[in-house]
Amino acid sequence: MFTRGALLYIGQRLVLIVFTAVAVSSVVFLGVHRLPGDALLNERRPDPAAEAALLHYYHLDLPLPEQYVRYVSGLLHGDLGESYVNRGVQITPLLLREARVSAEVGTAAIVFTIGLGVLLGVIAAVRQNTWVDYLATTTSIIGYSMPNFVIASLLFLLFGVALYSWTGGALYYNSGWTGNYGTLDQILVPGFALGFPYASIVARLTRASMLEVIRQDYVRTARAKGLTNRVVIVRHALRNALIPVVTILGPLVIGIVTGSVVIENIFGIPGLGKEFANSILNRDYNIVIGLFTFYAIIIALANLLVDLLYTVIDPRIRY
Amino acid sequence: MATAPGIAEKYIEETLAHEQTSLWGDAWRRLRRNRLALVSSVFLMLLIVVAIVAQFWTPYSYYAQGLGPIYQGPTAQHWLGLDQSGRDILSRIMLGAQISLKVGIGTQLVVIVVGVVVGLVAGFYRGFVDTVSSTTINIFYGIPDLLVALTLVLLLGRSLGIIIFAIAFTQWMTMARLVRGQTLALREREFVEAARSGGAKASKIIFRHILPNALGPLIVQATIGVPMAILFEAFLSFLGLGVPPPTPSWGAMAADGFHAIRIAPHIVLAPAIALSLTLMAFNFLGDGLRDALDPRQKR
Repeated sequence: MFTRGALLYIGQRLVLIVFTAVAVSSVVFLGVHRLPGDALLNERRPDPAAEAALLHYYHLDLPLPEQYVRYVSGLLHGDLGESYVNRGVQITPLLLREARVSAEVGTAAIVFTIGLGVLLGVIAAVRQNTWVDYLATTTSIIGYSMPNFVIASLLFLLFGVALYSWTGGALYYNSGWTGNYGTLDQILVPGFALGFPYASIVARLTRASMLEVIRQDYVRTARAKGLTNRVVIVRHALRNALIPVVTILGPLVIGIVTGSVVIENIFGIPGLGKEFANSILNRDYNIVIGLFTFYAIIIALANLLVDLLYTVIDPRIRY
Repeated sequence: MATAPGIAEKYIEETLAHEQTSLWGDAWRRLRRNRLALVSSVFLMLLIVVAIVAQFWTPYSYYAQGLGPIYQGPTAQHWLGLDQSGRDILSRIMLGAQISLKVGIGTQLVVIVVGVVVGLVAGFYRGFVDTVSSTTINIFYGIPDLLVALTLVLLLGRSLGIIIFAIAFTQWMTMARLVRGQTLALREREFVEAARSGGAKASKIIFRHILPNALGPLIVQATIGVPMAILFEAFLSFLGLGVPPPTPSWGAMAADGFHAIRIAPHIVLAPAIALSLTLMAFNFLGDGLRDALDPRQKR
C-alpha cells in the first residue's frame, strides 16, 4: 500500500513526534517547576524530617537541571513518574488506561462529527436554496453556537429524565462509567455531545465545497453519461468535495481533546479529560506534565494520520 | 455628430443621478437585507443594554441567598426561579451578561491590537519578524488552546483581566495570520506602488493604504472571535476556573446547577439558553458581515 518514499516519510514524522513530545513536556516541566506551591504543600507536614524524606522520594531535593535530565530520560523510556497526590500511582499506565476510555468516547464523537456533518452538508448542497438547505444551514449555526455542556444538559434531560418518565424507569440513560469498557449508551450520549458542535462546522465546509465541485465539468460529464444521481454525488462529487474537509480533521481532533475536558467531567467518564481537570485542581503537577505530553503525541499522531488520508482521498498527493 | 455630446451629457447625468455608494454604504445595505443578522444585532444591542442596566440595578441582589425556597422554579416574583442557594437567577443572568460581554469584547480588543501589529509588521517588512511570528503561530496551532488558557489562568490567578489575557493569548494567531495575508496581498497592489513612488513613508502606506483595505476581513474575524472568547470563558467557569464567586458567570451558573438537573433543570437551562442565544447572535452577525463586506465570497 505504501511506497518506500511514503514509509520513509512516516518514519521521519514519527521521529519528529518524539521530539515534539520531549519539547512540549520540557516546556511544561520548566513552567510548572517555577510555580508557587506544590502537591506536597497542601498537606499538613509537621515533621521536617518527613518532609525532607518526601522531597527526596520524588527527587525534588535535587537541583533543577538534574531533575530535568532524570525526567527526560524517564520520558524516553516511557516512564512519566509517579503521582504527587496518590503516592505509588505510576502515571504512564494510569494515563494509558484513561486514554483508552477517552478514545472510546472520542471515536464515537468523531464518527458523529464526520457522519452527521458530511450528511447534512451534502443534503444542503444538493438541495441548495430549498427549505432543506436552510434547515441544514441554520441547524449547523445553532450547533456551533451551543457549548457542548449545553448540548450535554439537553441530552441529559432528554435521555436521563424524560425517557425515564416516559418508559416508567424501564429505559433511561445513566451517566457514569461502569466496568472497564463503557456500555453503548455511556459512549454514544457523551460522544454526541462532544461531536455535535464540530459536526456543524464539517457540515458548513462540506456544503461549501460540494457546491463548488457540483458545478465542475467532470460532474456534468458524469451526469451526461447517464449515471444515477446517487452515483454522481457519492462517487464523483463527494470524493473531491471531501478534500477541504480532511484539512480540518487535525483541528477537529484538537477540538475533541479540548471538549473532552468538559464532557468527561459532566458525564463522569474516567478518561484523560477528567484527569486533566482533577490534576490541575489538585496541583498534581507530574500528571499535568504527563497529560500535556500525551496530548502532544495524540495530536501529532492525528495530524500524521490526516496527512496520510490525503493520499488516500487525492491520489495526486504523494510523499 | 451633433448628437454625440448630448448622449455623453445624458450618460454623465444619469451616472451622477445615481447616488454614489461607498464600500461601507454598500455593505450596510446588504447587511440590512439579511434578516437573521439584523435580528441578531437587535438582540445584541438589547443584551448590551441589559449588561449596562445590571451595573446599576437588578431585580434582586445577585449574591443575596435564601430569597425563597432553594431550587424553586420560575414564579411571578422570580421570573427565572431560584438556584441552589436561593439566589435570584434573573439577576444573576443579567450580571452574567456583563461578564460575558466584557470577556468577549475585551479579548477581541487585545487580539486586534496584537494581531494587527504582528500581522502588519510580518506582512509588510517580512524578514525576521515574519519568520519568528509564523513559526510561533504554527507551533501554537498544534496545541489545544483551552488547555493553554486553563494552565495560564491556573498559573496567574482567576481575575477578569487574567482570563481576558489568557483567552487572547490563545486567539491572537488567527488575527495575525489574517492581517499578514491581507498585507502580503495588498502591498503588491498598484495603489501601494503608486503611493510608494509618490514618496510616501512606510507608516503612511501601512496606515493609509493597507490597513483601511484590510478592515473588512478584520471586522468579520473580530466578530467571529467574540463568541469564541465567550465560549472559552464559559468553559473555564464551568470547570471552576472562571471569575471567582459570587460574581455570576453563565458557565459557572450552569456548572452549579448541573448536579441538580433532574429536580431543577431551570438552573442549568437559564444560563445555557442565554449563552446559546448570545453565541448564536454573534455568529449570525459575523456571517452577515462576511456576506456584506465580501459579496464575492457569498456562497
